Amino acid sequence: MFKKIIRTNEFVIFLILVFLSLAIGVVNPAFYSISTVFDTLRASIVYFIMAFGLLPIVIAGGIDISFVAIAAVTSYATHMFLLGQGYEGGILLYYVIACSMGQLAGLLNGFLVTRFKLPVFDVSLATFTMWYGFNLFFVGATANFQLPKGTVGYYGNFIIKAQDPIVGETGLHVSMLYVLVIGLFIWWFLKYTTIGRGIFAIGGNREVAIRSGFNVTRITLVTFAIMGTLSAVAGVTQAFLSRYFNPVIFITQPLDVLAAIILGGAAITGGSGSVIGTALGVLVIQLINRALILTGIPVEWQRLVVGVILILFTSIPALRNLRAKRIGHTTELTQSE
Amino acid sequence: MPEEILRVEHISKRFGGVIALDDVSLSIQKGETCCLVGENGSGKSTMIKIISGVYTPDEGEIVINGNSYKKLTPMESIREGIQVIYQDFSLFPNLTVAENIAINQQLASGKQLVNWKQIDQIAAEGLAKINVSLPLDAIVSTLSTADRQLIAITKALLANARIIIMDEPTTALTQKEVMSLFKVINDLKSQGISTLFVSHKLNEVTEIADRTVIFRNGKKVMDQDAKGLNIKAMEYYMTGHEIDTSAIEYGEVREAEPPLMQVEKLNLSHGFFDVSFELKQNEVLGITGLLGSGRTELALALFGELPADSGRILINGKEAPFRSIKDAARHGIGYVPDDRIRQGLFLEQSIHNNIVISIIDKLVNKLRFVNNQAKESVGDRWIDQLDIKTPSGELAVKSLSGGNQQRVVLAKWLASNPKILILNGPTVGVDVGSKAEIHELIRSLAKQGIGILLISDDIPELIQTCHRILLMRAGRIVEEFKRAEITEQILDSELVAATAALGSRK
Repeated sequence: MFKKIIRTNEFVIFLILVFLSLAIGVVNPAFYSISTVFDTLRASIVYFIMAFGLLPIVIAGGIDISFVAIAAVTSYATHMFLLGQGYEGGILLYYVIACSMGQLAGLLNGFLVTRFKLPVFDVSLATFTMWYGFNLFFVGATANFQLPKGTVGYYGNFIIKAQDPIVGETGLHVSMLYVLVIGLFIWWFLKYTTIGRGIFAIGGNREVAIRSGFNVTRITLVTFAIMGTLSAVAGVTQAFLSRYFNPVIFITQPLDVLAAIILGGAAITGGSGSVIGTALGVLVIQLINRALILTGIPVEWQRLVVGVILILFTSIPALRNLRAKRIGHTTELTQSE
Repeated sequence: MPEEILRVEHISKRFGGVIALDDVSLSIQKGETCCLVGENGSGKSTMIKIISGVYTPDEGEIVINGNSYKKLTPMESIREGIQVIYQDFSLFPNLTVAENIAINQQLASGKQLVNWKQIDQIAAEGLAKINVSLPLDAIVSTLSTADRQLIAITKALLANARIIIMDEPTTALTQKEVMSLFKVINDLKSQGISTLFVSHKLNEVTEIADRTVIFRNGKKVMDQDAKGLNIKAMEYYMTGHEIDTSAIEYGEVREAEPPLMQVEKLNLSHGFFDVSFELKQNEVLGITGLLGSGRTELALALFGELPADSGRILINGKEAPFRSIKDAARHGIGYVPDDRIRQGLFLEQSIHNNIVISIIDKLVNKLRFVNNQAKESVGDRWIDQLDIKTPSGELAVKSLSGGNQQRVVLAKWLASNPKILILNGPTVGVDVGSKAEIHELIRSLAKQGIGILLISDDIPELIQTCHRILLMRAGRIVEEFKRAEITEQILDSELVAATAALGSRK
């Protein structure tokens, strides 16, 4: 059992996480504090949500980058609309409207992919550009700091509070609960529903999935609906955590999210991937962000470091294959001797 | 009392002007193992597709379990208990054994949720039906071809199969695995499930068949009890002419000349140990042994793909260190891989392009652009010389039959004018007629002065082409047979015995 666990991707990425934490702490002991934990988690929240939303598409063998644009357009448009209506209520209506829009936007991608048999990446490249353009041209081109009364306290709505000697009061934000619920849901959905298994089947061998009788079109549409909905959740959450709405939020971030999923053990060609791995992947990337600030390495290095870790990490399976090839034909021989 | 499960009557099928099947009738009894044999293009595949409902016959009818069909749909065929196991096995490589086996039940039940306990239970029961145990939680991509095949058979059984059609099931199996497949087929038989076994390999057919049916050019030319049917008779029916092995003319080996290639104490960890031999000009040297005996690794080492750890390779008496394929190619070594589709050919590219690929840098004009005229003339010359059957060299290689594809691989290496040619299983998946022609080609290449290393587990093939045969076991060369010293029958039986001993030792 234990042997099995240490051979998983999740375990490797967990080791990287531990190693990173230790290394940062050695350089800057201030890293070891409760506020670091809460801050890192807070910064990760929206990436968790987006990554969980994207994961099913990646498992089914697609690469989508439009989810960030969907997050931006749904949150910003919802905000500008409600502002125009003089809305003073709470955050729930934001989620309801944005999620409906997000689901439709996701289904648009899904429709183009299934109806015209277009590659997921091509479609998402188009809608990525289109939604940011739409946001800037039709909705508004500037950041908006005006929040409805009912949402003002949300920024500091902690489930656990703690006193930190340096930063003062800090805590675990309530939206971490959403992350937990969403993560559990996606894990359950992928593992225990027929559609979820269909997603793995499509990523493993699309032809056979069709022949076996999976409704590939429907399953594909479901993955995109999930992606669109969760992108909207991420967009709204990000806006309230940072207390302003930005029409081009996340525009540089799609690859960070994809990188987290790949780090978490998903194959870019589909067929594998896990919720726990993805969550760990998000944490690794967030930790690298913080590490570079805390250890005084210039921020510009962050990209380089993420890149190098990705290269190292993705080459582990390749190295395993290489070794297997060298001794591959003879496993039978060594066993029989 | 035999019970008839399937009967096809007076089936004809045409594609355009080509007659694929011409008035063929066939029946399969309950629990019978029927072997369907024929060369490529004899109509075997068309028959499978008609029985499974993929094609509708132009004439004739299909009777399954007493129900008569003029037009059979794939769904009806499955409902009547006909299951085809194609060569790709239709599995999900990324999923576990259990899930692959049980996935059809899951889908058929229409349930939206997955009960993993039930999945494991279905899979375990399915595997028990063929007396096989596989780790249920193993990912299919980590399993061997044989294990994947067992999963496919289990899947078919769980779909309530009454007849399982296996399309060339032994192509990628080792001898030992073939034996366990036969055991499974016999198990199925005892449960009253029939097997339609489609194969090229006549020695396997003699072993497993209750009844043998042979197709040639879309007609059924033979249908009889397998008892007392020998390989020679089957070859005769398949090709329409007897393949005579007695009149083979082997070229002379120039024993006096220095060897072309000397291999001294070559080692590769996990591969082979202490391998030494010489290859003369004009010689065909066979290397045989079971899969896993180190024969493939040796071939790859000689071709520079898996450089050896220690030992020497001498070409024309000079030491030639092989660290890469380029090194080997520079020393005039060509390698024809066993998996020609994946390793030897660009299927989508034209025959011409495939032939000239290894010498493309010599076919350029002053501006270093490829000279198309030169390319075509070189390509056509080899098409002509190796008798590759195609209307045009500009057609994609995938349009050719297996035997002709193999010739393109040969042409590709011959074009680079090699001194030594390593052939790994050159007639795997090639029908009997083309096989004899490829053997003739190998002998004539040797006569022209090329030294040939032939790696194969096909014993008749080795006898028909080689001057000497080395037997490998557990990574070592354990015996050497000289054809001139031993008559064919003795050599054959000794090799069979040696190989069988190796198999039973496990």
